[in-house]
Amino acid sequence: MKEQERALSRRQFVGGAAGTLGAMMLAGGKTARAEPAAAILTAPQDAAFLDRAPDGPPLKAGVVGCGGRGTGAAEDFLDAGPNLQITALGDVFADRLQSCRETLAARGQEIPDSRCFVGFDAYQKVIASGVNVVLLATPPHFRPEHFAACVAARKHVFMEKPVAVDPVGIRSVISSARKGQTIGLCAVTGTQRRHQRDYVAAYQRIKAGTIGELVAGYCYWNQDQLWFRTREEGWSDMEAMLRDWVNWCWLSGDHIVEQHVHNIDVINWFLGKYPARAVACGARHRRPTGDQYDMFSVDFVYDDGRHLSSMCRQISGCENNVSEFVVGTKGASNCRNKIYKLDGTALWEYDYPKDASGQPTGQVAISPYKQEHIDLVTAIRTGKPINEAETTANSTLVAIMGRIAAYTGRQVTWEEAMTSDLRLGPTTYEMGPVNIEAEIPVPGQA
Amino acid sequence: MPAKRLLRLLSLPFRLLRYRLVFGALVAFGLVLAHHADKSTSSDDFCASCHVHPQASASWKLSTHYGVESGVVVHCVECHLPPGGLAYYWEKARHGLRDAYGSLFTDTSQIDWEARSSLEHALTYTYEESCTRCHQNLFPLNLSPKGDEAHLHYSRKAGELPCINCHLHSGHYDERATQPESFGELSTATREIFTEPAPLARFESFVEHIPGTSVSFEMIAIPGGEFLMGSPQHEAYRRADEGPVRRVRVSRFLMGKSEVTWDEYQAFYAQTAAKGQRNTRALAEDTRRKVDAISGATPPYGNPDQGWGKGSRPAITMTHHAATVYCQWLSAVTGKSYRLPTEAEWEYACRGGTPGPYFFPGSPRDFTSETLWNKIFGVDLDAIAPYAVVDSTSGGKTHPPDKVKANPFGLLHMTGNVREFCSDWYSAEAYATHPGGHAITDPRGPESGKEHVIRGGSYASDAIAVRSAARDATRHSAWLMTDPQNPKSIWWYSDCRDVGFRIVCEFHGDLVQPPGGAARPGGSPSPSGSPEGANR
Repeated sequence: MKEQERALSRRQFVGGAAGTLGAMMLAGGKTARAEPAAAILTAPQDAAFLDRAPDGPPLKAGVVGCGGRGTGAAEDFLDAGPNLQITALGDVFADRLQSCRETLAARGQEIPDSRCFVGFDAYQKVIASGVNVVLLATPPHFRPEHFAACVAARKHVFMEKPVAVDPVGIRSVISSARKGQTIGLCAVTGTQRRHQRDYVAAYQRIKAGTIGELVAGYCYWNQDQLWFRTREEGWSDMEAMLRDWVNWCWLSGDHIVEQHVHNIDVINWFLGKYPARAVACGARHRRPTGDQYDMFSVDFVYDDGRHLSSMCRQISGCENNVSEFVVGTKGASNCRNKIYKLDGTALWEYDYPKDASGQPTGQVAISPYKQEHIDLVTAIRTGKPINEAETTANSTLVAIMGRIAAYTGRQVTWEEAMTSDLRLGPTTYEMGPVNIEAEIPVPGQA
Repeated sequence: MPAKRLLRLLSLPFRLLRYRLVFGALVAFGLVLAHHADKSTSSDDFCASCHVHPQASASWKLSTHYGVESGVVVHCVECHLPPGGLAYYWEKARHGLRDAYGSLFTDTSQIDWEARSSLEHALTYTYEESCTRCHQNLFPLNLSPKGDEAHLHYSRKAGELPCINCHLHSGHYDERATQPESFGELSTATREIFTEPAPLARFESFVEHIPGTSVSFEMIAIPGGEFLMGSPQHEAYRRADEGPVRRVRVSRFLMGKSEVTWDEYQAFYAQTAAKGQRNTRALAEDTRRKVDAISGATPPYGNPDQGWGKGSRPAITMTHHAATVYCQWLSAVTGKSYRLPTEAEWEYACRGGTPGPYFFPGSPRDFTSETLWNKIFGVDLDAIAPYAVVDSTSGGKTHPPDKVKANPFGLLHMTGNVREFCSDWYSAEAYATHPGGHAITDPRGPESGKEHVIRGGSYASDAIAVRSAARDATRHSAWLMTDPQNPKSIWWYSDCRDVGFRIVCEFHGDLVQPPGGAARPGGSPSPSGSPEGANR
C-alpha cells in the first residue's frame, strides 16, 4: 500500500513536470524565435564598453617605432586609464625618437636617455627595459620579429595593423599568437573598427539575424595620394626607404595591405569567414616614389560562392570612399550605423551622442583609437585576455592574396598564400645599400 | 533442479540482507582484484617480461620519453594503449592476446624488429589520443621556427596527419633517424677519381664513369625488338589497365643494370645542390627550360635512406621531377643522352623476351600473400627469392644489386626492390588508344596527365604488384602530406619510401627525342642557384 502510494506520487510529479515543461516549450517556442531580431534592434548599444580602464598595479609601456602613429598610440595608451606610463622608446632614427619624446614630455612622461634606444635592435632593448606592455608601430615588415620577441619575453602587446607583409611573416605571427594564447598574453592589433561602438552595435544586430543571411560584401578605401619622402642628399638606400616606408612594398606590403586591410577585416568579421580565392587588377598611375601600385580592385570569392568586392586607391582628384557594405537576404547595412530592409526602409540607426545644441555628433563617445587601449588595459588588469593577433594575421593574409593576384594577374587561393615561402625584403638590416630595385610589377605576359 | 527453485536460490543474495552483504563484499573484492591485475599487467616490467624485445626497452631509455632532458618518464602503456575508458581495455585485450599467441606459438627470434618499427606498423600500436593527452599545447613558448611551421601545417591538416609521421622516434631512440651532415659527400679516399666519362663508340654494354667522382655504373645494351605489351585476360590477378594487349616495337637502347644507387645520386646532389634555395613553382618551370643552369636538390628532410644505409642501395624518396633533373645533369656531365625509360621500354626490358607474368617461372598464385593457403602455409619463397625482392623476401627494406639474379637481358631488380619512375604520364586507358593489330613503334604515353607511371613494384609489394605487366602511378599529393616545408619540396617525397628509378641511355645516332618536351642537354651545368629576383 505504502509503495503504491509512493509510486503514484512519483508518477504525478513526473507527469506534472512534463506537462509544465511541455506547455513552456509550446508557448516559449514561437515567441523565442521572434524575439532575438526584434529585441536586439531596441537593445541598449555600447553595453559592453568601458569609458576608462579600471585601476590596478602600474603598467609600464615601451614604444617601438616612434613616428606619428607610435606617438599617437603612446598617447592613447596613457589616456586609457589610471596608473599608466611610457617608460622606454625605441626607433631606428634618433630624430623620430626625439620628437616622440618631446611630445610625451609635454604631458608629463619623462623618459631618460638610458631608456631611449636607437637602432634596428632597439626593440630588444625596449623589451628588456622592464616594461609590461610593448607598443609596436614600426613599418609592418618588422612586426613578426618584434611580436615574436615580445611573446618570448611574455610582454603584452599593442601592435599596429597590418601584422606582416608576406606569408612567411603571417605564419610567424600566427605561431606567436598561439604561443601567447596559452600563457594568457593580451594582443590588440590596431583594427580599431572592432573597438568602435557603432560598428560593434551594427555587428551585434546583424549577427542576430536582422538582415537574414549575408550574401555579399563590399569594401572601399579610396582616398587622395598619401604622404611620401623624396630622397635627400646623404641618405643611404636603407634610410631613404625607411623614411619613405609607406611607398615600398617590402616595408609596407603595398597600400592594399597597409591601409585597406581595415575594411577587408570588417567584412571578414561580419561574414565570419575568410575568402578562398582572389582575382585582381592593380596599377600604378601617379605614385611619385617607391615601387608600389596606387590602385587595386579585387574580387574575393568565398568557398560557398559569395563574393567580396574590394577596391582601394590613393590618387588625388578622384571620387573618395572609405566604407564597408554588406547585403543580406532581408536587408543591407553599411556595417557602421545603418541597417535597412531591402526596400530601403530603415530598420536601425546608431544613436550618436548629442552636442550642446542637441544635434547628433556623428562620432562615438570614445574614439576607437582610445577604446582599443582601454580594452587592452582592461583585459590585462582583469585577467580576461584578448588576443586579436591571429584574426588580424588572417585578414592581413587576405589582403596579401589580393596584392599578389593584382601583381601577377593570376588567381591566388588562400591555401597557396598561407603556404607560400614568399618573403620580402633584405635578410640583414643596416644603414647602407639595399639590393632592391624599384621594379613595378607587370601582370600576365605578352 | 527445477528452474523456479534454481532462480529462487540464485536470487537469495539479493533478497536477504545477510546475503546481500556477502555478495557485495565478494563483488568489491573481485573489482579490487581485477584492478590490481590490470595495473600489474600494464607495468613496464611486465611489458619486458617475455624478453622478446630487449632492444625496445634499451632504446626507450635513450629517448626523450625517458626523462633524458626533463626527468619525466613516460611508461609503455601511456603510448602503446589509448588513454582510458573502454578503448583502453579493448585494445589491451586485443594486443595481449596477440602477444601471448606470438610468444607461445611463433619463433620470436625470427621477428624482424626493424620492419615492425616502420611508420606503417607503428600506427597499429600507438594512439594519437595518447600523444595529445599529454601534449595539449602545440605552441609552447620555446618552439623553434621549424616547429612553428610544422605545427601550423599539422593543425591545417587536422585528423589527416598522425603525430608520428614526423615524430616516429620520440619513444625509442634511433641514431640513424637524423640526417647526417655529410649527406651528399662521397668517400673517395682510396678509390680512383674519374676525370672523363666512359666512351660509347659502339652499341654495347659499358661501364659509365661520373667525372670528378669515383662513381661508376653499368649500362646494358638492350637490342631492339617486338613484344606483346600488357597481360592476357587469363593472367592471375590481372588488372583492367594492363589491356588490351598490343604488339609494340621498341628501338634499341641501353639501360642501367640496376636502379640508380645512392652513390650515383649523391654525386648528383654534391655537384648541383642548392642549399637554402627557394622551392617555388617558378623554379621548377625554370629548370626544365634552362638546362644549362641545372640547379639540383635542396637538402632532404630527415634521413632519406631510412637508416638502411647508402652505397650501392637504390636511391629512394626523390620526386619524379628530381629523377628527370638527375638525367639532365648526368647527360650534361657525360655528354650522352640519359633519360627515364618509357613505359614500353621498361616492360620490354623487364620481360626480356618472356611472355608470362614474371621473367622467372611461377604464377602469382604461388607467390602472393593474398590467398588463404599462402596466408596459412606461407609463400613459396624459394621460387621467388633468387629473382625478386618483394614483401615476403625483403625484410622490409631495399637491397643492393647482388641480392638477386639477372633477368634474360642481364638486368637486376626490374622486379621488386624499388618502384621505378617512367617518363610516361599514367592513363588507365593508355593501351586502348592504339588499335590492336599492327605493331606500334616506341609509344611515349599520353600527351598529358596528372601522375607519372611507375613500374616494377618494391620491397613492400605483394607478388601481384611485381608482375611484368603490372602498372602503377605516382600519387603526388599523398606522397607530400607530411612535408612540413612551405611550399612542399619539389625534390623529395615525405611519404613514399619505396620509389626510385633507373636510367636509359640513347645510343647517339638514334633520333629519339626524349619525352616530356625537355630540350636535349648540352654544355656544362652550373652548380649554383636560381636567378635572384624580387619574386612577389
